[in-house]
Amino acid sequence: MTLLHATDIAVFDGTNRLLDPVSVTLEPGEPLVILGETGSGKSLLAQAIMGTLPENLRAEGQVRLGNRSLRAGADRAAFRKLWGREIAVLPQEPWLSLDPLMRAGAQVAEAHRLVRGLAPAQARMQAGNDLAAFGLGAAVARYPHELSGGMAQRVAIAAARAGGAPIVIADEPTKGLDAARRNDVAALLLGELGQGGGLMVITHDLALARMIGGRLIVLREGTVIETGLTEQVFADPKAAYTRDLIAADPEHLPARKTGAGTGETVLRAQGLTLSRRGQVLVEGLDLTLQTGRILGITGPSGCGKSSLGDALLGLLPPDAGQVIRAPYLPPTACQKLYQDPVAAFARKRSLGQTLTDVARLHRAPAGRIETLLARLRLDPALLARRPGAVSGGELQRLALLRAMLAQPRMLFADEPTSRLDPITQRDVITMLADLARDEGLSIALVSHDAALIDKVSDDVQRFAAQGSDIAAAMGRDKAMVA
Amino acid sequence: MTTFSNTLPPGRAIGAVVLALMLGFALVGPLLVPGDPFAQSLMKSLAGPDSGAPFGYDHLGRSLWHRLAHALRLSPAIALAAVVTAGAAGLVLGTLAAARGGWVERLLMILADALMALPGLLLVLIVLAIMPGTAMGFWAGLSLVLWVEFFRLTRAATRSTLASPAVQAARLLGFRWPYVFRTHLWPEIAPLMLTAAAFGTATAIMGIAALGFVSVGMRAPTPELGLMMVELLPYWREAPMALLTPVLATFALLLGLTLLAGGQKA
Repeated sequence: MTLLHATDIAVFDGTNRLLDPVSVTLEPGEPLVILGETGSGKSLLAQAIMGTLPENLRAEGQVRLGNRSLRAGADRAAFRKLWGREIAVLPQEPWLSLDPLMRAGAQVAEAHRLVRGLAPAQARMQAGNDLAAFGLGAAVARYPHELSGGMAQRVAIAAARAGGAPIVIADEPTKGLDAARRNDVAALLLGELGQGGGLMVITHDLALARMIGGRLIVLREGTVIETGLTEQVFADPKAAYTRDLIAADPEHLPARKTGAGTGETVLRAQGLTLSRRGQVLVEGLDLTLQTGRILGITGPSGCGKSSLGDALLGLLPPDAGQVIRAPYLPPTACQKLYQDPVAAFARKRSLGQTLTDVARLHRAPAGRIETLLARLRLDPALLARRPGAVSGGELQRLALLRAMLAQPRMLFADEPTSRLDPITQRDVITMLADLARDEGLSIALVSHDAALIDKVSDDVQRFAAQGSDIAAAMGRDKAMVA
Repeated sequence: MTTFSNTLPPGRAIGAVVLALMLGFALVGPLLVPGDPFAQSLMKSLAGPDSGAPFGYDHLGRSLWHRLAHALRLSPAIALAAVVTAGAAGLVLGTLAAARGGWVERLLMILADALMALPGLLLVLIVLAIMPGTAMGFWAGLSLVLWVEFFRLTRAATRSTLASPAVQAARLLGFRWPYVFRTHLWPEIAPLMLTAAAFGTATAIMGIAALGFVSVGMRAPTPELGLMMVELLPYWREAPMALLTPVLATFALLLGLTLLAGGQKA
């Protein structure tokens, strides 16, 4: 029996159509993946199906659940009754959706009591069982801040599922997670499916889509580009866009051609020990950054990658050891790219003004901004806008442009593409690699995505999970690191 | 000022119009109808309006039109002077506390908290007793009370902005502190400061009037809103309009300032 049947779902903002009519069906035991980049309308589709669209948007179409039929966008109150009972939504970044002042067990028990209507004692017992089933038996009495990110996620899932809804919708469940955690989440979601439930996953993450399997819908700019069995689409994409998307997966990136780079040392760290809040993050680390080479730094979140960058840039004094800059370097020779480019620009200043300020400060020759704009394939019209009004990929390239105006010799890129979709990520990374090769720039590239690091780096620095020891300073060129 | 470059939200626009009307009256009123706020004529005690005194006369036969215009110059002038002083002090000290941290911040916070623990009017009264000249005393006392608000706002906004990647990036690019202040800090602080300034002015005007009303502020015969109210209070039955004149003026002034301050999200 089909669990959910949504017919011709379309979303409008006034008269402007944001999502063209899409029909989806959800069969028990067969997950459905909706794949698309930011702004493709994939979240709108999910919200229209659940009846949670923002007030100013309007949906059209029919949603059929079992033998109930609802008009999308019209029957708000009717949709409300389904939440938690028929459809469960896994929140994005679930650790933010937990109540920080409530113990884990109580948060799950609350859902059992209020949504399912169990007696308090029974709800508590059921919550304990749920958490134990997730391997969280010991976490019942803990507060969210005492849980690791992965545990918090499982608690959130347990709470979302407490209502016993047969259909689970997960919106970007792996946003901001590293590869290991992503695999855990995929396994967890597939486990949920076990008892003939329905699973709908919305993501831009190709690896997740592949792990979930089932059926796939590729969305772009509010239009369905391709549908089919996930496995088949990945093996033989029909649409040009899907092909492009799959080719942009870090695993399919062409391996980097190491530049002729002069190999001069720009920066050297010796016996570097760093700690934050009493916890040792990095101990006795030696590394060298050379012109024209890319040093990839990878490891799970919270292992000290960003702190290492701050230390290399001279922003964080090391507990022991030292960072030695080449003596000829001017003070502004080391620049940084940020994970969230919007936060790295003055909020209320137009981008053009900011860039002009930088160009003037560094006495860049006239026309340097225009040259770089062309080189980074950016539209000069963007300069009139403020940082918040530009897409993430464009803004990251503008941040790169800004850094280039200072004529850096070293660039520390802290997860520069983790918030970008695959195609944009590939473009930004390719540009970084080209700059390293052509300008003799030394780049330290941080990413939780080991596949990406392996493809683009000349040398690799791997960190183990949170804690002290660094697994190994393994690189293709072992003489470089260590 | 980006907040004011476009059209004002309706609440703020109304507030601005009310204030403009009040200040327009204070400045232009005595020019339209020439007269003296201090000239007494007991023959006209509590008399109704005439061509020389469009708002009528008080118990000593002084023109309310002129006394009100003078009162509406005095209180806002003192209040504005105090707010400007307090705003400047709060901005400098707040930025300093956020930027330097450590004992500088601790010391300033202790001072601010200590001042917050005292009732504002009491503090003004103490300063009034020390300072020569009532207007100077009000200015100094109100500045001392008001700077805490500006200090706290500036410190909070500056602290989060200084910790942002944007400021870190600007420093890495080689920009100096004046540039960082101008492009990163001030745009964040300015809207807060304007709101706090409007509320601060209202608080100051209210404080001056309150102390005048209990006869420990401005001295007679100075025309001052609170003093005028208390002087006319005994005659409320004979001349209710005379009493209502300073009350309505104070109300309109405070309403205008409050409307101007609020409505940020409207």
